Amino acid sequence: MTTKRRLKPLDFGAEPMKIELGPSHPATHGITRFAIELDGEVVVKMEAEIGYLHRGFEKEAEATNYIKIMPYTDRLNYVSPLINNVGYALTVEKLFGVEAPPRAQFARVIMCEISRITDHLTCNGATAMEIGAMTVFLWFLKVREYLWECVEEVTGARLTTNWARIGGNANDLPDGFLPMLEDRLQKVEAVLLEGEALILKNRIFIDRVKDVGILSKERAIEHAFTGPMLRACGVPYDVRRADPYLVYDQLDFEIPVGTVGDCFDRFLVRQEEIRQSISIIRQASDKLPPGDFHCRDRRVWMPDKYEVFNSIEGLIDHFKIVMDGPQPPPGEAYQAVEGGNGELGFYIVSDGSGQPLKCRVRPPCFNFVAAMGEMTVGHYLADIVPIFGSINMIGGELER
Amino acid sequence: MDAILEILVNPAVQAILKIAVIVMGFVMLTGTVLTLMERKWMSAVQDRLGPNRANVGRFTGHGILHIAADGLKSIFKEDTIPEGADRVIFTIAPFFALFASIVIWAIIPFAAPIGGFTFQITDVDIGILLVLAVTSMGVYGAVLAGWCSNNKFAMLGATRATAQMLSYEIFLGLSLVGVFMVNGSVTVSTLVENQNTYWFDGLIPKWGVFTQPLAFVLFFTAMLAEMKRLPFDAPEGESEIIAGYFLEYSGMRWSTFMLAEYLAIVGTAGLTVTLFFGGYHIPWLFADGFHLFGWILELPVWLVALLQIGAFITKTIFFCWLVIILRWTIPRFRFDQIMELGWKKMLPLALANVMVTALVLLAIDHWQAG
Amino acid sequence: MDIGGALKAELKVKVVDRTRGFTEALYLPAILAGLRITVRHFIRNMFGKRDVVTISYPEEQRRISPRYRGRHRLTVREDGFIKCVACYMCEEICPANCIHIESGEMEDKSVEKYPVVFDIDELRCVFCGLCVEACPKDAIRMDTGIIAMAYTDRDRFDFTRDLLRDPYHENEKTKFRSVPSPATEAEALPHSEGKLAE
Repeated sequence: MTTKRRLKPLDFGAEPMKIELGPSHPATHGITRFAIELDGEVVVKMEAEIGYLHRGFEKEAEATNYIKIMPYTDRLNYVSPLINNVGYALTVEKLFGVEAPPRAQFARVIMCEISRITDHLTCNGATAMEIGAMTVFLWFLKVREYLWECVEEVTGARLTTNWARIGGNANDLPDGFLPMLEDRLQKVEAVLLEGEALILKNRIFIDRVKDVGILSKERAIEHAFTGPMLRACGVPYDVRRADPYLVYDQLDFEIPVGTVGDCFDRFLVRQEEIRQSISIIRQASDKLPPGDFHCRDRRVWMPDKYEVFNSIEGLIDHFKIVMDGPQPPPGEAYQAVEGGNGELGFYIVSDGSGQPLKCRVRPPCFNFVAAMGEMTVGHYLADIVPIFGSINMIGGELER
Repeated sequence: MDAILEILVNPAVQAILKIAVIVMGFVMLTGTVLTLMERKWMSAVQDRLGPNRANVGRFTGHGILHIAADGLKSIFKEDTIPEGADRVIFTIAPFFALFASIVIWAIIPFAAPIGGFTFQITDVDIGILLVLAVTSMGVYGAVLAGWCSNNKFAMLGATRATAQMLSYEIFLGLSLVGVFMVNGSVTVSTLVENQNTYWFDGLIPKWGVFTQPLAFVLFFTAMLAEMKRLPFDAPEGESEIIAGYFLEYSGMRWSTFMLAEYLAIVGTAGLTVTLFFGGYHIPWLFADGFHLFGWILELPVWLVALLQIGAFITKTIFFCWLVIILRWTIPRFRFDQIMELGWKKMLPLALANVMVTALVLLAIDHWQAG
Repeated sequence: MDIGGALKAELKVKVVDRTRGFTEALYLPAILAGLRITVRHFIRNMFGKRDVVTISYPEEQRRISPRYRGRHRLTVREDGFIKCVACYMCEEICPANCIHIESGEMEDKSVEKYPVVFDIDELRCVFCGLCVEACPKDAIRMDTGIIAMAYTDRDRFDFTRDLLRDPYHENEKTKFRSVPSPATEAEALPHSEGKLAE
């Protein structure tokens, strides 16, 4: 039984009540505004207005060089910054035609999956909190904290990681990192079970998310949905499998899909993806090969500090890269990675100089916000909250 | 001395003293401390530390000073009244809410009467019916506050509060009918005293929760809805309509709403204990001491009274704790689901409970008559 | 549905289980099961060993990673003079344009060029660490371990050359003197391979 209400014309010449949800409203985290018309409590019309967090990333990228763009990418999807780092680095590597060595690639996979776990924990926790299960949210944030400590251990920052580089990573995984990570992952698994026991069998929670915000498979594809939102509709599309990058084709994992495409499916798909990510991290840790964590291509990689200090060639190469930036051959490249929300694509056009001619980001949640109206009309005002929670809108990514 | 005694035996003076002691000394105190304890307990559930920063010099007392800090803050905060609001109603609305949560305590006994002295403000004949009448006054606080704030979110909250409290009022009353039938009375003192009788030769006390288990669940649910606690906090619905009916309130008036909410928790706990958990009774404790299996431990009257007061307060605080822990365990219903639960599930259950109770009582009567 | 195109690895699909049975349809079992979990947390955190990640910040300090990018410092040579040769590399690579350098010449031929002015506006800084990577002289590092800078006016965030030389610059607000983390040379310089001792 669906909870969608059939809309009928208002009686007595009554007008729908216009109500503004946001931009500063507890549910519209990430700052967006919904102009809603209500008939009683049923949403008749809903328009999402975005742009409150626009910072001009794409334009800014055209004015700096390839190295200096990297810190900006941290701020795209700020709950999974490492995926953005890696996505951007892969795109520029494609322009150059260089490839990071295997150890760097496995390390990137590990860090990307940590980011995906933190992303999904935040999203599912926030969805639960907005339905009232605040305890689950705080438990999830607690284990997210554990994972961020791991991220800090590797990158030197919790959120503004700036870790991937063109042709490698800023630094290698430190000694003792993998046992620490395994310990943290076990804590994540324990908390996942506890959180699920609290809500996933609870009728109150299920009633709030089941059959709410359904978008059919066909409409989801028409809206160019990707990621957990599309998989919840039953389409097993995952960039990691559809167009494998890094070393994902050497790793074994399942793609969780839903059947109906409502908030409940999205919640379950994300929970299952956390488990798959944990399994991927374990496999990648086992397979982590020894070797370099960066390439030795002088076009993209600064010479080793030893050379810089002691040889004039090293110093000159170093100065060239810092002053002019890496200069890719003219051309264009598009590289998609599976971000926390779906296909996160970078499209970069090079004219041969140190600055990109054009940089474009394909933010996965832009399409979700565009479909908000379609998903919410006919539902109650209170249903906007879990629907909006389940699309996991991240302002930094949506509005660049 | 005699003059003072003469004044003290005056029923009116006694009532005023009891009001002062019970309301100021117990209800207000517990309610105020609960505002802090909710945050501390919730943080324990959620693996956090909870508030612990308010300090005088180096003394923090694990956060106990937050009560004073909160109070001071809301007194000194600017008390805004939105443009277009009805100033008079806006001012008095919080006190409707407060009134309803306090008046419940008029009829709740703290210990068994000693001679002519009762540990109860008044033992009115209509008893529990007074509670039903008073709790329905509580809805005015929410409705008036939401209506006069000149805010659409507040209006939505007020509408939700009206609908929710009106519908839960019905099976709140119906769930108690079973209790009245079992006891054959609505007077609180009778209801409590009957819970100190025993089955199986003085083994199991006839507490309301054993005689009327379903009524207990229904009553507790209805009271949760009446005081707008999670999972029934759709009128406040912080995630969609922000704070609902008291969205526009600030300063001390806002605090009054919050205080009313916590007093309602204490009130609910007190009522639940009185009706279903033996009130002030400790099992097997009678006016002259413990009786169990023919074994008797005699106790002086004053000690019995103290034990009973202690038992009542302990039970009440346990139920306050339960209400709070429950809030941090379960999510919130959607507004239409609350209505559906009330009318389609709770109401038939309450009616069935009345029917079954009546049939059982008839059967017992028939069997006893031979 | 074939949107993926040619698949290089085996596509394994797992359909999530959304069926809920009769016990879930009743409200009470799940609520009681949930209460059991929350009460367990409650008892553990109130009476037993606490399992919290929150720290009482100024009194308690978090262990920070040796790689943590904190406030900058300018390293010094053995004779106490700063290593910086005012080559402008860090100013060039800084994405936030928060470094301002003015160079001057030194009589001492072993130094030649040095920064007369070396200012970092820590309010603009995004702590990306690129300046450390760009420095060809190991003259700037971010290993002070100072994670919080709290001042009451903006001017105090303009760190001048001499302030940056002192890695233990005291934090006015928290009265907390950060201890620099035990960074090795290799940790401080991510690009090196540990051959600096030679």
